[in-house]
Order: sequence, then structure tokens, then C-alpha cells
Amino acid sequence: MTTNEFFKKVFFIEIIKGLALTMKHLFTPAVTRQYPTEIREPFPGSRGLHALVRDAETGREKCVGCGLCAAMCPSQCIHIYTIEGEDHRKVVDRYEIDVLRCVFCAFCVEACPFGAVVLTDHFEYSDYSREAFYFTKERLLENWDKYMSGSKGREYFKRFWRPKSEDFGLSAVSSGSELQQPVEEKASL
Amino acid sequence: MNIVIVIFKIVIVITITMLHVAYVVYFERKVIGHMQARLGPMRVGPHGILQPIADGIKLFFKEDIIPSNADKPIFYIAPVISVIGALASLAVIPFWEGFSIINLNIGILYILALSSVGAYGIILAGWASNSKYSFLGGLRSSAQVISYEIAMGLSLVGVMMLAGSANLMDIVNAQSKYPFILVQPVAFFVFLMAAVAETNRAPFDLPEAETELVAGYLTEYSGIRFGLFFIAEYAGMFIMSAITTICFLGGWKGPDFWIFSYVPDIVWFLLKVYALIFFYFWIRATLPRYRYDQLMGLGWKLFIPLTLVNIVVTGLVKIL
Repeated sequence: MTTNEFFKKVFFIEIIKGLALTMKHLFTPAVTRQYPTEIREPFPGSRGLHALVRDAETGREKCVGCGLCAAMCPSQCIHIYTIEGEDHRKVVDRYEIDVLRCVFCAFCVEACPFGAVVLTDHFEYSDYSREAFYFTKERLLENWDKYMSGSKGREYFKRFWRPKSEDFGLSAVSSGSELQQPVEEKASL
Repeated sequence: MNIVIVIFKIVIVITITMLHVAYVVYFERKVIGHMQARLGPMRVGPHGILQPIADGIKLFFKEDIIPSNADKPIFYIAPVISVIGALASLAVIPFWEGFSIINLNIGILYILALSSVGAYGIILAGWASNSKYSFLGGLRSSAQVISYEIAMGLSLVGVMMLAGSANLMDIVNAQSKYPFILVQPVAFFVFLMAAVAETNRAPFDLPEAETELVAGYLTEYSGIRFGLFFIAEYAGMFIMSAITTICFLGGWKGPDFWIFSYVPDIVWFLLKVYALIFFYFWIRATLPRYRYDQLMGLGWKLFIPLTLVNIVVTGLVKIL
């Protein structure tokens, strides 16, 4: 043992260094967020509460009931039931999401060819019953009205789901003039 | 008439200690929280100032669960023994000049004896719970007590030799020129560490070692019985800090010049006690728990020889 090591051992140099570190941290500000009173802005594009897009023109859901989202869903929490409407159109009767099973992967949003389903950035919707998390179509449309209506929803689609959602049907979310991709590629969708 | 005064003193000392226990818990949570870049309790009252009261009420009204295979009578009295061991030590502590519940000539012996009684509570709790974690905690506590009580007692021998008395009041008065920490630094260090081990605080918190033994001897306890152990631990910390203050830091005596001479004695006493309690939290936030054999090795191979050498050197210096 060298004198240096001996000195270190007798006077607890390592321990004193540790004590100095904790003492330093005592006077640095805490990083805690006081959650219910101090709510963090969610990052743009964060995946929270589900919503069904309401078409501004018809006032109805954009969803056509193709069932791609339900097919894509890894936790199989989307249930879609369609019926035959007037002049043999396919109409979405029920569109239900069991949020307690959802893993928030947003594959449904990626899969949707019409940009009709979306995860909003609203994340505070805890409740006391399981039933409150079984979202019906009406509830999902309400969510859209509450958290994504107007330009916010349009912006959201453009920024975070561009690869597929940019080229939705021409009446859709993005305004037609911004289409940049050639038509052939759109057809391959 | 005398008995009335004694009872009055007891009520005052117990009340003040209990308030201290409550707020030492709060202080600990705050200090350790901030050392870990957290805030500690914040929600009950401004900056969580009412947290200890809420915790106390909660503990008092919680269900008192007793395991069906527990040794019931021992399970019932173990926490009480712990608390009695801790609180009875308060009787001899001189808070300021002339104030202690009883001025005992063998104050140090009395304190050492009662701090061992507290360990009985822990061992009995571990035994009576009839759970392996509790049992291991209890066994660890007994081994820890054996290895640390000796060093602790021996470290105070030097102080007793210098003061020429085992009376705590006399020991403080013997430090009117300088505190004994200056002449007994080794004994101070050993006593400080032994006190940490004695009160089962990190880094020597092996009897409750939550990462290894769930909660050690506390595992099967709930409600107010758990609360009693908690009180015993924090009261023990308060008492050990008080003893350290009395034996090494000059008790209620402060610097005697300028405006310092107008500060009341009790303020000096409590300031020193708080500084020591803060030291307990500080090392808890810094050091990881000792392994069991390391702890025993530290006690037997380092502290006891150190204190023995300290006694011999102190004696030689005193004779010369």
C-alpha cells in the first residue's frame, strides 16, 4: 500500500467525495413536475386519445368502414360493423375501440387510406369504470370535435402522417394544391 | 410536590421529542428528496408541512394485522419495548444547564443499557412474526448489536476518563473550555458510526434492508405497531444525536462572546442535534448499504481496536 493509498483510506477520501456530491445536489433545483398543477405540454404528435375524423363538409365521419385499421391493429381492439345504407352505400353502423387493450402504436392511423382515424395529443382521460374506455363512434367523433377540430387536425395529419395521409382523396384533409406526389404513385396506394 | 414537577418535565420532554420525531421524518424526506433532485413531500399543506400529521393519523387508524402464526404476546409487546427503550433514555439527557428529568450519576451506563433494550424489541419482533424475512432481520440486528455496542461503550470510556464522571451533566460541564471532539476525535468518529449502526440507519440498516429482506423485522407489522417502531427509530436517532452532542460537542454550551452569549442554551443544544441528524440523512443519501460481513469486520476489526488504543492513549496522556 503506497502512502497515497493509505492516506486515502484513513481519511475516507472517496466517501468524502461522495458526500460532497450529494451536498452539491442538495442545492441544485429539483427536476420534479408537480403533475396535476403543473401539466406538461405534450410533444407534438404524441399519441393519446383516439378520435374519428369528422368530415367538415358532410358533418359525418370520414370512415368508410373498409376495416383496414381493424385488420392492422396488433391488439385487435377495433371493432367495425357496417350496414347497407340508402342507394346501396356502405355505412359504418358501429365503430368501437376498446382503449384498455390499445397499445397506442398508431398502426390504425397509418393504415387508414382516408385519414379517418387519429390519435390526438390529449392524454388525460382516466376514469373509474371499464365502460368509460369502450369508445363508441359518437364518443370518438366527439373527441375529434374537442381536441382536433379545425386547422389543428389538418396540421396534425400533415406533420405526422405525411407518407400516406398527404395523398388522401382530394376532398380530404389536406388542401388539393399541396399535392406533390405524382398520380401514379397515389394509385399504388 | 416533587413528583408533580417530574411528571411535568416528563410531559414536556416526551411532547417535544414526539414533535421532533414527526418533523425529523419530514426533514429526512425533504433532505433526501432534494439530494436526489426530487422535491419530497409537497402536497399536504404548503411544501408538505402537514405531511407527518397526515401520516400519523393514517398509521393510527390503519388496520392492525397480526399474522395467524405469529407468537401473539411477543408480537404485541415488541414494538412497545422498542419505544420504551428509546423514550426512557430521554430521562437523563440534560437539555440545558440543570434541566434533565433525573440527574443520574451513571447516565452513560443507563443510556447504553436502554439502547440495548431497544434492540431487544427488534429481535423479539423478528422472532415473533414467524416470517423468514423478519427472522433474518432480527438475527442481523442481534449480531449488529453485539459488534457495535462494545465499540460504542468503549468509545465513551475516553470521554468518561477526561470528565472524571459518568454523569452527563458533569460531562458537559467538563467541556466548558473546549468540546471533547478536539481531544477525542477517534472516539467521536467511532461513536458516530456506532450510533448509526445502533439506530439501524443506512448504511448500516441491515435489520430492515428493504432490498434484501422486504422490510426486515418490520415486514409483518402494520398500523400503529409499525408506527411505534418508526417512532422508536427516529427517537433513537434524536437520542443518539443528543448523546453525541453531550459527550463530544459540548452539549448546551455555545461560543461565549459577542452576541452568541445571549443565545439560550437550548438553542445551541438543538442546533448541534439537528446538525448531527442532518449528517445521518446525508450519509443515508450518499452511501450504499454495507454487506453483512463487512459490517461485522468493521465493528470487530477496526472500531474495537481503535477505541482500545484510544483508551490507552487517553490514559497515558492523563497520567503524564
